[in-house]
Amino acid sequence: MASKMLKNGDAELTVEERKVYDRQIRLWGYEGQNKLKSLKVLLIGMQGLGAEIAKNLILSGVHSITLKDHTSVSILDRCSQFLIPRDSEERNRAKASLSAAQKLNPNVKVIADTVPIEENVDNFITMYDVVIATECSLSTYKRLSELCRKANIMIFIADVYGLFGYFYQDVNFTHPLYSEIFPNNAQIDTITLAKKPPQAYYLTSALLKFQSDSNRKPNPDTSEEDIEELKSIIHLQMNSSSDQKSTAIDLFEEYYGELFCELSPTTSILGAMVSQTAINTVMNKPVSNFNVFFYDHVKHEGTFYLL
Amino acid sequence: MAATIAGVFKPEVQNLIINSKILLVGSGGIGCEVLKNLVMLGFCNIEVIDLDTIEVSNLNRQFLFNKESVGKPKSHVAKTSVLKFNPNVNITSHFGDITDNKYGVAFFNKFKLVINALDNKKARSHVNRMCLSCEIPLIESGTMGYQGQVEFILKGVSMCFECNARSEPKSYPMCTIRNTPREPIHCIIWAKYLFSQLFGNSDEDVSMEQKEEVEGGYEKLSARNWAIKNEYNPKKLFKKIFFDDIIYLLGMSHLYEGRIIKPVLLDESLLEQEYCEYNHVPDNKILTLEQSISMFSDSVTAIKEKLGESNAECLTWDKDDDNFMSFVVSCSNIRSAIFNIPFKSYFDIKSMAGNIIPAIATANAMVAGQIVIHALRILQKKYDRCQNVFLRSMPNHKGGLLVKDKDVLKPNPKCNVCISDGEILLVTDTHKFTIRQLEELVLKKKLNMVAPDVQIDDRVIISSDADDEVNMYDLTLLEAGLKDRSTFEVDDGLQSFIIKIKVHHQEKYEEEEPDFEIFNNMNEFNAANEINKYMELNENDDDCVIEEKTVDSSGSGVCVNNEDIKEAVMVSKKEVTEEISNEEGTEEISNKEGTEEISNEEGTEEISNKEGIEEISNKEGAKDITNGEGAEEILAIKRKAAEEIEDINDVKKSRVD
Ligand SMILES: [Zn+2]
Repeated sequence: MASKMLKNGDAELTVEERKVYDRQIRLWGYEGQNKLKSLKVLLIGMQGLGAEIAKNLILSGVHSITLKDHTSVSILDRCSQFLIPRDSEERNRAKASLSAAQKLNPNVKVIADTVPIEENVDNFITMYDVVIATECSLSTYKRLSELCRKANIMIFIADVYGLFGYFYQDVNFTHPLYSEIFPNNAQIDTITLAKKPPQAYYLTSALLKFQSDSNRKPNPDTSEEDIEELKSIIHLQMNSSSDQKSTAIDLFEEYYGELFCELSPTTSILGAMVSQTAINTVMNKPVSNFNVFFYDHVKHEGTFYLL
Repeated sequence: MAATIAGVFKPEVQNLIINSKILLVGSGGIGCEVLKNLVMLGFCNIEVIDLDTIEVSNLNRQFLFNKESVGKPKSHVAKTSVLKFNPNVNITSHFGDITDNKYGVAFFNKFKLVINALDNKKARSHVNRMCLSCEIPLIESGTMGYQGQVEFILKGVSMCFECNARSEPKSYPMCTIRNTPREPIHCIIWAKYLFSQLFGNSDEDVSMEQKEEVEGGYEKLSARNWAIKNEYNPKKLFKKIFFDDIIYLLGMSHLYEGRIIKPVLLDESLLEQEYCEYNHVPDNKILTLEQSISMFSDSVTAIKEKLGESNAECLTWDKDDDNFMSFVVSCSNIRSAIFNIPFKSYFDIKSMAGNIIPAIATANAMVAGQIVIHALRILQKKYDRCQNVFLRSMPNHKGGLLVKDKDVLKPNPKCNVCISDGEILLVTDTHKFTIRQLEELVLKKKLNMVAPDVQIDDRVIISSDADDEVNMYDLTLLEAGLKDRSTFEVDDGLQSFIIKIKVHHQEKYEEEEPDFEIFNNMNEFNAANEINKYMELNENDDDCVIEEKTVDSSGSGVCVNNEDIKEAVMVSKKEVTEEISNEEGTEEISNKEGTEEISNEEGTEEISNKEGIEEISNKEGAKDITNGEGAEEILAIKRKAAEEIEDINDVKKSRVD
């Protein structure tokens, strides 16, 4: 009678999953899809960038993803957090995202976790295959980077500032730790870095310094003061660095106006970049000779570096 | 929404976002992501158009849709979904075709900016022309697998979509398909033709006429009628197609004289073989010949039933019909056995036969993000910040993953679409080529017109107005008054696109392909002739391969792209042959990337990198098999761009070092 060719290349996928994932199985094969199907992800930070990463990984068909955030929804989430329904202000971000996130793919286990990462014990992360952190403090990033290194768990640390964004990755556990690349000093000591850093590195360092000094990201409410503050940080960092001339400071002018909130074009780009790099790593195709990625919104270039 | 929050943007940018009306053409993979980005950023006047409905295989990336929305129009569902992000935006969704004349100049003129998120060249060319004629900036985009690109188009400022010839869909000579297949794809295309011949509406016969006993003698029946007469008996069909037809081929002695490619008859015991179970075999594993024959038998029975139930005379082949697929899989593999070609799995044959382009959420999201960054720069009129961008599958040796052209590329002064009211040369046999072929193949298919009008000496030859009663279609060019060296003008009123065509008569023999060729001028035509002569002189046994006198996989004749000819001069015969014998078209690109990576000089890490990249390239090569439209053309652009970018970088590098 009618031919009943087994449509599953592998018994681990249901017929229904097989149909939904068809277009990507044709890219990375059943083998790749099965690797994804066993992947347990910890995603810390559910603002715009977190929403994008969650969307991409849930669509791809990972085993499970824990959306971890102890903070409340703010009006600024409306810039790019598309998983949170309207009028959710003051709800927990992870909880408010859960329903829309789960709807993206019923085959993936989606969990909301509202405990601050700072309160979790050190071996908490060992429940996961990959840790992705956004919107944390620098000290938390430092701690996570060290913990993941010790436990051989791959980690991605990513943030978006307006239209600018970067991510750090540690996937083969040989390159510098997060805090070695972003030591958060008032002055940038280029000698400790493996290579001459790009302009985007100075901008990132200044934004991180601002964040740790003010305990917040630059904010649209205080945009003018924050820009002045950023300028003075960059001045200090540039002047003290041995191989940069102060004239280079002008190069940053075009960037300042677009560094507020997490804006959708860049959460879209960076969220996809982090997700795909993680997926590639799981499929044994890591970007192993670079460890930091910058999306430069003025030059509109996305580039990996080894720092 | 970002633009409604004070301080996020400077007031002038804020106003541009809030007040600019945007047209998004396509709400598929890229379209869903763009729509989300636009709405979240604060754009509040958007129209979106798409002619497709939602399919299950969209759901791994088109995140505005879910299982419940399968079958519904993409544009409407996309609108409903993003309204949840912000109920205060003004979105109009159209379930329709952008090339429809109801979306004319008046429609386009409403918009500050148009974004293309399309999957076919015809619609892309059409929107390109509409935007040029309305002088509206256009962002053109595409993805394929891990790769993608974003292009900025504005009349007089940058290259248009048609400034450079895009590669034509890959096509194969009909004689190769019929008589001398060398690769699985040849057998797969043959199997699709066979399906049309037996069950559908065929214009290319691949199975011979068959003698059949009738009252008082014999008569010759077409394969279709013969099959119907024998009630699609699977055993009889199997014998006819895979034995009798092959014996017929072998009987044409000149066909395989001194050639390596020669069919070998299958063992006759197969005609009576027992049923051979194959249902347990996963679709990415290869069946045996015996299993393929059982699959053939099952699929013929099922298709016959379907034909009976449908009341339709003809079935249209569809990759998503499991029985139709099984027919093509089994037929192509059985034919492969006869021609000593490796078998392919059901999974791979579905990719090739269905022209399936692999697609992932992340590549679409990256391209969509860049599209909206471009949109901001275009609205700010910062055109020097709108260079074309390319998404690579892996970083280049400088770490570049999203890389851009050095400058905004200037329009090609020879472009027939955005610059000159040029004249092109149509080379064809004016005694045979009909007005219908002129309209369908040349004006619509090749030149991507949608509503062409042609008048000669006040006589209407072709009209876009349905009310005009013009019936010249069956006339040849000559009969319609278009003889050698005559020139006529074609005007597409909808696209505001006018072009002059000069006719050059060239006698064609019966069945000689292509039916016509297009050149920019006489010099190009002469140069192409030189190449053809050169090719003929250097011809080896493997005839009819090099010229690519082509029939595309969908069955209608397409001319040789003159770009291909120009390129062909550059490469030696050997390379051409290699490229063609390369099993899966796209591999050369991957290899190219691989080579770039290898040639960089960064010591030991390199080796691991090289391995990684090769692995990916191979995988891509193996999966991205397409003789379909979108993918090929995107890759062509990508390939070119990647080369250029590498060149620039390499020059820089050598200078700096
Ligand atoms: Zn042009």
